[in-house]
Amino acid sequence: MRGITKVYPNGVVANDRVDFTVQAGEIHGLVGENGAGKTTLMKLLYGLEQPTEGEIRLRGQAVQIRNPHVAIDLGIGMVHQNFMLVPEFTVAENIVLGLEPQQRGFIDREKSVEITQDLARQYGLQVSAAARIDTIPVGMRQRVEILKTLYRGAEILILDEPTAVLTPQETMDLFAAVKTLVRQGKTVIFISHKLREMKAVADRVTVMRDGRVMGTLPVAEATEETLAQMMVGRKVLLRVEKPPARRGNPVLQVHDLKYVSETGHQALRGVSFNVHSGEIFGIAGVEGNGQTELVEILTGLRIATAGTVTLTDKAVTNRTPRTVRQAGMSHVPEDRLRNGVALPASIAENIVVDRYFAPPFTKYGWWMETGEVKKTAEDLMEEFDIRAPDSEVPVRALSGGNMQKVVLARELSRSPKALVAAQPTRGIDIGATEFAHRELVRIRDRGAAVLLVSADLSEVMALSDRLAVMHSGEIVAVFDRPRQLTEEEVGLYMLGLKRQERVH
Amino acid sequence: MTIEVAAAHPARAAERARFQRERRRQALAQVVRTLSTVLIALGLGFIITVFVSDKPVQAYVALLAGPLSSTARVGTWIEDATTLTMLGLAFAVVFRAKQFSLLAEGQLYLGALAAGLIALKLEAPGVLHLGIAMLAAAAAGFAFGLIPGALKAYYGANEIVSTLMLNVVAVRMYDLLLTYWLKPPGAGYTWSNPFPASAIFTRFLEGSRINTALFVAVGLVVLTWLLVYKTPLGYELRMVGANLDFARYGGINERRVIMLSMALAGIPAALAGAHLAMGVHQRLLLNISLGLAFEGLVVALMAGNHPLIVPFAALLYSYLRIGGDIMERTAAVGSDIVRVIQATIILFITAELLVGFARRRQARRIAHAAG
Repeated sequence: MRGITKVYPNGVVANDRVDFTVQAGEIHGLVGENGAGKTTLMKLLYGLEQPTEGEIRLRGQAVQIRNPHVAIDLGIGMVHQNFMLVPEFTVAENIVLGLEPQQRGFIDREKSVEITQDLARQYGLQVSAAARIDTIPVGMRQRVEILKTLYRGAEILILDEPTAVLTPQETMDLFAAVKTLVRQGKTVIFISHKLREMKAVADRVTVMRDGRVMGTLPVAEATEETLAQMMVGRKVLLRVEKPPARRGNPVLQVHDLKYVSETGHQALRGVSFNVHSGEIFGIAGVEGNGQTELVEILTGLRIATAGTVTLTDKAVTNRTPRTVRQAGMSHVPEDRLRNGVALPASIAENIVVDRYFAPPFTKYGWWMETGEVKKTAEDLMEEFDIRAPDSEVPVRALSGGNMQKVVLARELSRSPKALVAAQPTRGIDIGATEFAHRELVRIRDRGAAVLLVSADLSEVMALSDRLAVMHSGEIVAVFDRPRQLTEEEVGLYMLGLKRQERVH
Repeated sequence: MTIEVAAAHPARAAERARFQRERRRQALAQVVRTLSTVLIALGLGFIITVFVSDKPVQAYVALLAGPLSSTARVGTWIEDATTLTMLGLAFAVVFRAKQFSLLAEGQLYLGALAAGLIALKLEAPGVLHLGIAMLAAAAAGFAFGLIPGALKAYYGANEIVSTLMLNVVAVRMYDLLLTYWLKPPGAGYTWSNPFPASAIFTRFLEGSRINTALFVAVGLVVLTWLLVYKTPLGYELRMVGANLDFARYGGINERRVIMLSMALAGIPAALAGAHLAMGVHQRLLLNISLGLAFEGLVVALMAGNHPLIVPFAALLYSYLRIGGDIMERTAAVGSDIVRVIQATIILFITAELLVGFARRRQARRIAHAAG
């Protein structure tokens, strides 16, 4: 791809004179912060968007990729971050979908299964051909996606943030599979913002920032630090700097919490733990093992079936979110777009949702001081480095990182006694991640009890002073010195292959 | 504070000033665009008129200038706009909370009924009588709104269905009481006795129907604006409307807000009914509204649910309604065609407003990319 410029109709320059070359048979990493233009570049290559300027050459030939069909004919395949599979269909049916082997006008099911098994064997991607998509784990779904593109004759595979949803073991498997593909002559473009993965799997890396290519270099010559610096444009602290915890009294006490969903699924099977003042208590685990339910019960958004939650000796089990908040609980929710922010509302309105009803924002019980709301919001925008022209800007206009800073500004500025932070750095860039980590440590050092729930294992291991692992609704292990563990070790507990005899 | 910020971040302060200038410029451009759309829409209406009328110019002049051609007609226009303003406010309140309550019609009928009962059955001196009747109407509208509100908040009943059904209940109850109780024996038409002078909105402009309910409407506009933008409850309404899950997460009692949004909307809607009873007809009669509330819905939509814009949208909408009536009567254009012309104009304006929203959203994206 040469001199590629893409200007969107609204004037946003997503790619600015980008040169990007991938050699046959290599694993080429593409890194950059959110909004750096990686995805746009790949959309151009896959025919989802058309470049404003520049040309794309494939094997020396200039090509026009008008739509994904052309891309597929040219042997370019893309595995999206959100899988495009039919959950009710089997693995084999999904793979042959649209190109089914036929027999007298009917789909030949046996042939489909056969094709799937052949492909799986050829590329070393293990799948159960006859299983329905909604019954198989995420890692296998991803392999199905890859096989699907291979079945369509892909020579160049684009993997968009493929590890975001995987456990460490699944990630290792994926890397092995990618290497097998390359050995068989395929070319892989691997998009990620996890630099460690780039080091582990890629041959060469291209770094993008602000729509431009900052450089392409062999992985052997790059360190994580230099890559991060190229991505962000300044020196970045990759390791979490953290003084030792000064652990105080237990603040958040959870005893024998159980939750049975409306469908009868036992999401929590007796979870107990204490989080002390001045510590970060981390919960690791594959998503969907009860973490969401746990967090929502602790913060008053869901009613527990049994068990108690105590916050500084005050029972807050099954109280309303407001009562729990008034008792000193803060909550960084796992999906900020769902409930962490109101997109059409302004930054100011988003920041005061937990305090608008009290002075100085509301006087005499009914009059709202909008000036006071604005002033507080602008002070917090300054303190939390929220980049927007003013507090009247709707949150919809902010980047993911800035949105999360709005959430953090609200939840941390109220000096909480306990903070429940769920996936606090999901989908935000390195700079904002660094910021969020620093803020979590800062609130800990001011004496708050921090419960950190994260699917990002390296994050939760680096930040936690104590670490618990959840598996199918239970805490299966608690470690007092998480920094001495390896990810693989914790991974065994996450997958339910190991559990501690007695969990304290 | 602003000065400190400016000193600390001169670049950011300049960017902020540029952004705010741009925002003001776009607001102005929006007004210009809306006005030009009205002109284009009127032109389109004229083209239709050419096809259906022998004397199109005369007919169109009747539509465009008719409402202003006499004091009486101006009065009719303002009177109609008064009712539509109140109904528009009712929808502006519920739509703010993204509750699609269509109860305004029922609330209007109950408001008229409550006001009528007080007017006919209670004796009180002057202004007090009128005041009590208005309070009774407001209370009826509020209380009636609590029903679909509670059904939605606690049982998840879809408010579109429940309010449409409850509208029938309200209208039939009104018909029942009017026909079997309030209608004087031997009356040639299904209506009540005329109200006593103490329970009538006074007409204060000689030769026109403009009455004191106009001031009630203006007061309601201001009160609704205060409610939506200057009270904690208004903030809750807006947050529930912006993102219900967010409101819940932030500690807002979303059930209470849903109930209150439908109940509070009942106050202006019921007062619109009180205006029809005590101002327009000065008695209760069968079919007092005939779906007028749904014209209020269009007014709220045209005003983008902003309380301060509602009266202007109502004035524009009423002008076309009254102008259409005059065109029909003076220029022999069939009433169906008049409706088509009206609808074309309204559709055009509403569509342009929606395009405006889309443009503003896009502008935000540009602002984001630049910042």
